[in-house]
Amino acid sequence: MADNRLDTQIEKLTQAIKLTQKLRASVTKVFTDLSDGFQAPKGDEKALLNKLQKSLTAVNDNLGDLEKLAPNIHSTTNIPPLLLNSVGLLGLDPATDKSGITTQLHHTHKWTNKVHKLGDYTAQFLGTNQLKRTNQGPAGQAKRLRRPEPTIHRIPENINIQQLVASVDRAYADMSVSLIRPMGNSTVLQITLAKTLKAVIVLRGLLIEYVSIKAYSEDFLTDDGRPDIWSKSKYQVFNKVTDLVTAGTIHFYHPQLPDASLKSFLIWLNNYKTLFSAPCSKCGKYLQGFLPPIWRDTRSSQPLHDGCRQ
Amino acid sequence: MGVVCVFACPVPEGKSGQQVVDGLQKQVEMMGATKSGNFLVDCETYQSNPQNVTQTPQQCVVNILHNSEHPASCFSVTESGQILVSDLLFEDLMSKLTMAKAGRESFYSQRKGFKIESRGQRYEVGDFIIKIGSVSLASNFRGILIEVEYCPCVILNECWNMMKELLQSMVGNSAETPPPVLKHKPDTVYTPSDTILQYLDHFNNFRKAVSAPPPSR
Repeated sequence: MADNRLDTQIEKLTQAIKLTQKLRASVTKVFTDLSDGFQAPKGDEKALLNKLQKSLTAVNDNLGDLEKLAPNIHSTTNIPPLLLNSVGLLGLDPATDKSGITTQLHHTHKWTNKVHKLGDYTAQFLGTNQLKRTNQGPAGQAKRLRRPEPTIHRIPENINIQQLVASVDRAYADMSVSLIRPMGNSTVLQITLAKTLKAVIVLRGLLIEYVSIKAYSEDFLTDDGRPDIWSKSKYQVFNKVTDLVTAGTIHFYHPQLPDASLKSFLIWLNNYKTLFSAPCSKCGKYLQGFLPPIWRDTRSSQPLHDGCRQ
Repeated sequence: MGVVCVFACPVPEGKSGQQVVDGLQKQVEMMGATKSGNFLVDCETYQSNPQNVTQTPQQCVVNILHNSEHPASCFSVTESGQILVSDLLFEDLMSKLTMAKAGRESFYSQRKGFKIESRGQRYEVGDFIIKIGSVSLASNFRGILIEVEYCPCVILNECWNMMKELLQSMVGNSAETPPPVLKHKPDTVYTPSDTILQYLDHFNNFRKAVSAPPPSR
């Protein structure tokens, strides 16, 4: 039964391919005829028009046939074109296809992209129309307009991410930053901060997409030694710090100056080297709910307990 | 594996050891800690027989310790503080060395009545592990040891102030400075051997106090 259905499916597909080829052939004929010109005696325009009409009717017929057949062929994937490279291929796996996760993933991806794009435009417009009483004059305006277009996740040509990372690595002796590209294009920063913590930052272009922080004694490997950046830390304190640092990435996000945003984030992260040794700047104590001051103020870099932040 | 600090808890006059342990357990439970099983740290002492060891005329002492936190390891510490961490199989070697053979005396012999252990409840709260152990020397109660471990950190100096805050609520002013055994390595990475050295230091103190009258039970 299932075989039968599959056979008819395949038959229909082959038929559709044949019809498409036929349609392509007829369309090509029309265009070649039009571009090369018709071989006909002069003054016999009617014959020419007839010929053209004939080939156009053929195109129309072929298209009609194909359209008639089209509703009978079910798509193997309900994702529009394979925009997501290898992610798009997920949809071809019948097991995951049933759960609909690929479609959701695809929608989410598109949605976040859209949000970033709109955010970038908003920032641009708000940047040019600052609510200031004094007019900055055309000079300032022109300068601002010369800023690059919103990059979202494209690295501008004038920024070398390797140099950027190396400069941060050099500037702070107790912070080692290394850059790895595990799948070619994507960028992962591996950071070891003094003997306090280890961090992994996943970048898309220069946009920080994911941060994970673990203890100095932990590593980003599974039990059988494969890299694993998604698992959580064993310790409460580092899970909390991961949450807060992820919130910090949003604070430091700047669409127009992606390099400055990444750099200032890394400089801010450097404050966490005193995670265990610094008392809270507000209550002066070390422990609150068995956790050290896990927040570093984004302006003053002062250590604060999660409960002392307000 | 994080930083561990072990402190002795004084037993006040007119109170039994069990009462103090119960009080401490109640206090720790009030802080919100949850029980997570029992723990045991034990220590046996072996001494060399001088007639078999010609190079060193004086007696050598080796302490063999076990820690339930590292159940597959055996820690051997000499008098000078040299520490060897090995598999549990080391026990078999030691038992061979303590066997008398062919009319000769064994290389090492176990000191009688010197087995000392700290055993009690293990608690977890946040990233801290708190262990309240009562110490017994040859099954006589000798005192109370409190162990506090802060797991995420590996440097004593960094998290000492935090641990001090927690410890002072339990043992009072005896936790004013870091344990003396750890003074020489405040900025290096903490290892399980350092825990064992702290316990041995406390055990030796308890043994020395044997000559003094034992606390009332």
